Amino acid sequence: MATSLTVVLPGDEILQDALPTPTGKKKTLTLGPGLRHIPPNTIATTIAGALATDNRKNAAWIEFNSGRYIPTTGDLVIATVQGSAGESFNCLLSPNTPPAALPHLAFEGATRKTRPQFPPNTLVYARIVSAGKDSAPELTCVEPSTGKGDGLGQVKGGMGFKISLGMARRMLAGSKGGITLPEMLGQKVGFEITVGRNGILHVDGGSVKATLAIGRALQEIDEQALGEKAQKKLAEGVLKSL
Amino acid sequence: MAPEAILSHLHRADGSATYTHNGYCVIGAVNGPIEVQRRDEMPEEATVEVNVRPAVGVGSPKERHLETLLHNTLRSIILTRSIPRTLVQITLQVRSLPEEEISTGVNTTLTLLPHILHTALLALLSASIPLSTVLTSTLIAIPSAPNARPATPLVSPTAPELLRAKPIRSVHVFAFAGDGRMLLNESDGVFSFEEWDEAAEAAEEVCCKEEGGVGLGEGVDVDGKEGTNLEIWLREVVKRKVELEQRWKSAR
Amino acid sequence: MPREAEISVNERAFIQEALKEQIRLDGRAFDAFRVLELTFGDEYGVADVQLGKTRVIARISVDVTAPLPERKFDGIFQIVTEFSPMASPAFEVGRPTDAEVILSRILEKAIRRSNALDTESLCIIAGLKCFALRADVHIIDHDGGLIDASCIAVMAALQHFRRPDVLVEGEKATVLGLREREPIPLSILHQPLCVTFSYFEEGEIFLVDANLAEEQVRKGQVIVTLNRHGEVCQIAKYGGATVDPLALLNCTNIALQNVKTISSYIQSRLEEDAKRRDAGGLMAELSAENPR
Repeated sequence: MATSLTVVLPGDEILQDALPTPTGKKKTLTLGPGLRHIPPNTIATTIAGALATDNRKNAAWIEFNSGRYIPTTGDLVIATVQGSAGESFNCLLSPNTPPAALPHLAFEGATRKTRPQFPPNTLVYARIVSAGKDSAPELTCVEPSTGKGDGLGQVKGGMGFKISLGMARRMLAGSKGGITLPEMLGQKVGFEITVGRNGILHVDGGSVKATLAIGRALQEIDEQALGEKAQKKLAEGVLKSL
Repeated sequence: MAPEAILSHLHRADGSATYTHNGYCVIGAVNGPIEVQRRDEMPEEATVEVNVRPAVGVGSPKERHLETLLHNTLRSIILTRSIPRTLVQITLQVRSLPEEEISTGVNTTLTLLPHILHTALLALLSASIPLSTVLTSTLIAIPSAPNARPATPLVSPTAPELLRAKPIRSVHVFAFAGDGRMLLNESDGVFSFEEWDEAAEAAEEVCCKEEGGVGLGEGVDVDGKEGTNLEIWLREVVKRKVELEQRWKSAR
Repeated sequence: MPREAEISVNERAFIQEALKEQIRLDGRAFDAFRVLELTFGDEYGVADVQLGKTRVIARISVDVTAPLPERKFDGIFQIVTEFSPMASPAFEVGRPTDAEVILSRILEKAIRRSNALDTESLCIIAGLKCFALRADVHIIDHDGGLIDASCIAVMAALQHFRRPDVLVEGEKATVLGLREREPIPLSILHQPLCVTFSYFEEGEIFLVDANLAEEQVRKGQVIVTLNRHGEVCQIAKYGGATVDPLALLNCTNIALQNVKTISSYIQSRLEEDAKRRDAGGLMAELSAENPR
């Protein structure tokens, strides 16, 4: 992780010495979001943000936290079912975007006779199997490697909260993301949270009060960029209110 | 004076910016990439929609003209081919204009144009729409010379400055890409090619980062105003945005 | 045609469940407004209202025209609301949504038809010249409560606005610029404000100043407009929920409390702004206003 911020504007060329020096086996450079390759050998940025590099993976990308969610293969998302068309559900990943397809059979144990029925505006936790600029995104609720649901599927009860895309990334990144509140709360109360890369956080705390308190606390961490100490204080406050 | 900018302050839009400079204040919002209507869909490119809304009243031909200029300029910097069959919707709401604007006798489309271009760019940056480059823009006014000597062009003049320098013979708006290419030029009035050349040079100095370039405000009004180069200003604005986004890393 | 994304079934059920337990998503009381912020610009007649995450800017402008032939002694006053995609991609330019039609209709009833502005004072020469006043309402950010916020913005802007003075000599009228003569405040007869009640659960629960999520779940709405003297200007009800007549009475009482608080807030902001403008304390001398 870069220690000092390299702020880039769209159109900036990334010079050779700013690119990662491969230490791993992978020799080909991987370009992440916000970078493009202009043949023959120019690397230029397309969005404003901070340059980040990973020497081990030989990858470079731009870190940013604004704008709309762009579907990316492999992402876990919370999608809203709009309706059923033919062999699949039409799902929304963010408002006013083309629908993503979730096949009726892409659920654990689903067969032609036991396909799930969802009323419109049901929430489902799904993984994006394919996404690209040339096709509508496709979702699945089974892990391709195991054929099991593994937590994917309909999201029942609870409440959805909007969080920034950066916050969603951080929550899914584990300890690197620096979100310690759920762990601290988890020692005292039981609850379930689901994070969608598309900026939706689903919380089910059993009761209305608990759900709201946890959801709002996480939103506060997002909006005010609270560090570990502040999160601890917040967690104590949440526990007291319950 | 450098323009002031606030980024990503609206909750609903994907990207937003409020830009204030020389008495002009414009709020910009960008939604995108979103679903495009069938009739506007293009198989290999994104559709760019620009809405300019005046402070007073509903849109008039002046706003339509601005929209066309903006549309053509922005389409050349948005990487429309990387987000095909989508819509990038840019809305620009003029919040306030300087009081003296109507009395300057200068084409008000042109005086507004640089501000509206900057607002649109900042909103696009805030929405993280893929761009091939950034742009900077400025207004140059050439007053009519009282004697035979050619008049010195006014760089990014304020409305009172234009009023004082009245009558203005010609006004020019230039926009430059990050690599210094000229993206847009709109001129109005009577001018010779030499005058245009001089204006273009003056604009380039303000807009593009160059060693020893003259800053905005210098040469026009030397009363201790800090000169600002527009590209440096733009970097400063983006740096603030990035720092705000990354502040959780250093938070305790 | 783009549409506003609907709220998910989970959120709908949760909001209803929470309301049964007397809890709102943002922790407000049922009869409380969100945090209201009102700012004025450097120009006269521009009010920027922030109600929670909703933001509305109202701008008053003036022009001189001929009065309508059937109303020779009245000036012209018009409120224009047009939604732009800035507030939501579901708003299309040139295609008004239902919400937009309702908003302009309510503002028309609440402000124009209740004679909040004395249009006769806008007359310059009867039948020949009058001021045409125009209020442009710009929706900048949309998180519900547009009607209440727009009404606050228009009323605050009207009170903040100053029209230019005119010099009438016989049939000749000269409009004096802002630099020539200190402009004159409008003659405002009363200050109506809107309070929207959202009904849930067949009229058993109602909320003041619902945000967008709550608006999407509600069964119906009742919009009450009154001034701080408790004079009701209009009541409108939309949506299917049945509302008990007695509950409606209760609504006006709650609305009055809120209107009083908002009115005094607008007043204090206007005074602060006047103080800021009146840096040298010369305003009283410059004023051309006649004591009534």
